Amino acid sequence: MSEELKVIVFGIANEEYGIEVDKVRTIERMMPITRVPKTPSFIKGVINLRGVVVPVMNLSGRFNLPETEVTEHTRIIVVAVNEMEVGFIVDSANDVIDIDSDIIDTPPEIVGGIQAKYLDGIAKIGEDRLLIMLNLSEVLNKSEIVQLEQLEV
Amino acid sequence: MDMNAYLSMFIDESNDHLQALNDNLMRLESAPEDISIVQDIFRSAHTLKGMSATMGFEDLASLTHEMENVLDLVRNDKLKMDSFIFDTLFQGLDALESMVEDVVQGGTGKSDVTHIVNNLVKIVKGDYKNGSSEPAAAAPTTAASQNQENGGLLDQYQSSVLKQSIQSGLQVFYIKVTLTESCVLKAARSYMVFDVLENTGEVVKSEPPVEDLEQEKFDRSFTVFTISSVSPDELTSKINSISEIESVEVLPLDEESLATLSSAGTQVAAAAEAPVSPAIAEKAEVKSAAEQKKPAVKNGAPVANRTIRVDIERLDALMNLFSEMLIDRVRLEQLASEVKRQDLTDTVEHMARVSSDLQNIVLKLRMVPVDTVFNRFPRMIRDLAKSLDKKIDLIITGADTELDRTVIDEIGDPLVHLLRNSVDHGIETVSERIAAGKPETGTVNLRAFHSGNHVFIEVEEDGKGINAKKVLEKAISKGVVKPEDAGKLSIDEINNLIFSAGFSTAEVISDISGRGVGLDVVRTKITSLGGNVTVTSVEGKGTKFSVQLPLTLSIISAMLIKLGDEKYAIPLSSIVETSIIQRSSILMVHGSPMIKFRNAVIPLISLSKLFESPSYTEEHEEEHEIIVIHKGDKWAAVIIDEFIGQSEIVLKSLGKYLTNIPGVSGATILGDGQVALIVDPNALIK
Repeated sequence: MSEELKVIVFGIANEEYGIEVDKVRTIERMMPITRVPKTPSFIKGVINLRGVVVPVMNLSGRFNLPETEVTEHTRIIVVAVNEMEVGFIVDSANDVIDIDSDIIDTPPEIVGGIQAKYLDGIAKIGEDRLLIMLNLSEVLNKSEIVQLEQLEV
Repeated sequence: MDMNAYLSMFIDESNDHLQALNDNLMRLESAPEDISIVQDIFRSAHTLKGMSATMGFEDLASLTHEMENVLDLVRNDKLKMDSFIFDTLFQGLDALESMVEDVVQGGTGKSDVTHIVNNLVKIVKGDYKNGSSEPAAAAPTTAASQNQENGGLLDQYQSSVLKQSIQSGLQVFYIKVTLTESCVLKAARSYMVFDVLENTGEVVKSEPPVEDLEQEKFDRSFTVFTISSVSPDELTSKINSISEIESVEVLPLDEESLATLSSAGTQVAAAAEAPVSPAIAEKAEVKSAAEQKKPAVKNGAPVANRTIRVDIERLDALMNLFSEMLIDRVRLEQLASEVKRQDLTDTVEHMARVSSDLQNIVLKLRMVPVDTVFNRFPRMIRDLAKSLDKKIDLIITGADTELDRTVIDEIGDPLVHLLRNSVDHGIETVSERIAAGKPETGTVNLRAFHSGNHVFIEVEEDGKGINAKKVLEKAISKGVVKPEDAGKLSIDEINNLIFSAGFSTAEVISDISGRGVGLDVVRTKITSLGGNVTVTSVEGKGTKFSVQLPLTLSIISAMLIKLGDEKYAIPLSSIVETSIIQRSSILMVHGSPMIKFRNAVIPLISLSKLFESPSYTEEHEEEHEIIVIHKGDKWAAVIIDEFIGQSEIVLKSLGKYLTNIPGVSGATILGDGQVALIVDPNALIK
């Protein structure tokens, strides 16, 4: 069974990633972030999203990749999963595309330094474009953060 | 027509009636001879029955009907209340409550209540105990009179009630009501007619019988015999004011016309005459007594305010919108002070005044009297005392004290816990109390009162008190306290150890409390509401739990401060004082910094170190700005960088992703649109 998926495409470093469009609440330009003490380093703090306080994290930091500089293309993608609203800081977000669920393959163990459990699959678009589909509930899995904190202590 | 339109009304009203039933049954239990209370109970039960039958909740209606039968016997003095009857009625009430709850949850309100119904039927028949001949004698007469209902227009019992009423100068009417053809809810309309009639007097007989009316088993008209205190004209106009009534005929009756109407029934009923007459005489007597009592009760009751019911979500929406406005107000105030134009400043100041009035009103809208939580406690204490075989009086004061709706919703469980604890562990058994020279009935005081920006709720009993020695031993054996620290603790400090996790001193584990997960849960819950709970106790004299709660959870006054370029808010309610100290005045005690403050030595906390501030450290300063905060009676001083000022802030949560950040209780949005974190002073003081 093939299904049409609408996907938001965004970039971190030189990779392209995708999130299903219905999980994305909004995409914002970079805005002032208030630091929250005693949180893992990839959590950058909280923003005021039209009256609602929303935590933001740096996605590359979340995957233990080196964090990139903030540029004028940097965006905050706010997603809503499992009743949680969280913003992702990404290097750029500039495309919405339709893909066929058939072209999504199961991911290999590690893609670009990210463990497979954070991924839903890899979609091949055209000749030389690979789109990494994120597994949002795993990315926002809190029990793992607790473990991380314990490691840091 | 869609029944759903009436459903929410039904739920609200049946909850009111259930609460009234509960309260009145409790009252009756303490004054079993007071027939006027039985009348009140009967009225509530009857209304509930009518409503549930109209809405099609058959099980609810039939259980209420059985309870009504018992109450009917009681109010007619054919049955004496005893503890078995009370227990069965309470059981019935519980079943009714759970059925209504089921309806609320979208269910059908069905439930298997045969056991309770059987008990109720047994009570009516009088064979739940063998020794009682009186109710047994009464039961057949009711049965007999019911059998005759179809025999004539009026049976012997009914006609003699009517006859006596006429003789004693009351008016008796024969009323024929016809509903309009388009009437959809016939049962509801007929119920409303009965409501009018019962408000002005008493319905003796209706044709078809009430049960059939409730199930809409009639065409368009029905007839009623009623005893009434008002004139026929007034009665006609009152019934006519109900909508969808086509016509009303009210015929006054005298003894003669009554005789013709009842003649058919007389012969059949003659056999039953002997047992019936005394009952009637008694009934008349009881009624006049009850009627004398009624006005007295009414005078005492508070006049109901004119109110409307509002969906809590709408209030929340109003609150949210108002919070948004408050943020803009702060922003406008900032702008006005920058622009320095007089008329702008004046306007903004006026707006600030209006909005603070508005804030008071919006906050008041969300206030609910604690009575909504307290009202279920008398019943709970009664049941507990009964199952533990103790005698306990619950005295409630300050039930009209108001708290924010959110707090009210959350405070129920912790209070239940504290009360259960007092009843189970606090109050002694009757024999123990007598041995200790105390009155055999224990007293539990439940108090609520305002003080400053807080509401206090106290649970105090005159039981055996806390055995501090045992608590300390237990605390040491559980590792809550180090043996070497034990000597330093005051009695109050020891007593408050019972709130530590995994602590229960009950020697016998009962199903009421004592699984050792109790009081620490209470404390966690209350702290999460921004409150605090403490205990004081005198051994042998009693124990007092004191719960301190904030008035509201959504808007608070706070002091805004800076740490470098970061801004934080500290709730004003925890601040004792702000001040400036010299670096040289810091003392080192056991390696931790302390300062002298009002003749005491208190710990000094560095907020920048605690929050790992990237842009500020106080290390190189000669003078420190400090804020002295308190938690209960413990104090601490917090070093900050700079004061910004006092402000009303709107509490926002950090979202579900970020929870349990140490030292941070939430966030707020400042006038410039930035998010500032709210410092949790309770977490700073260990």
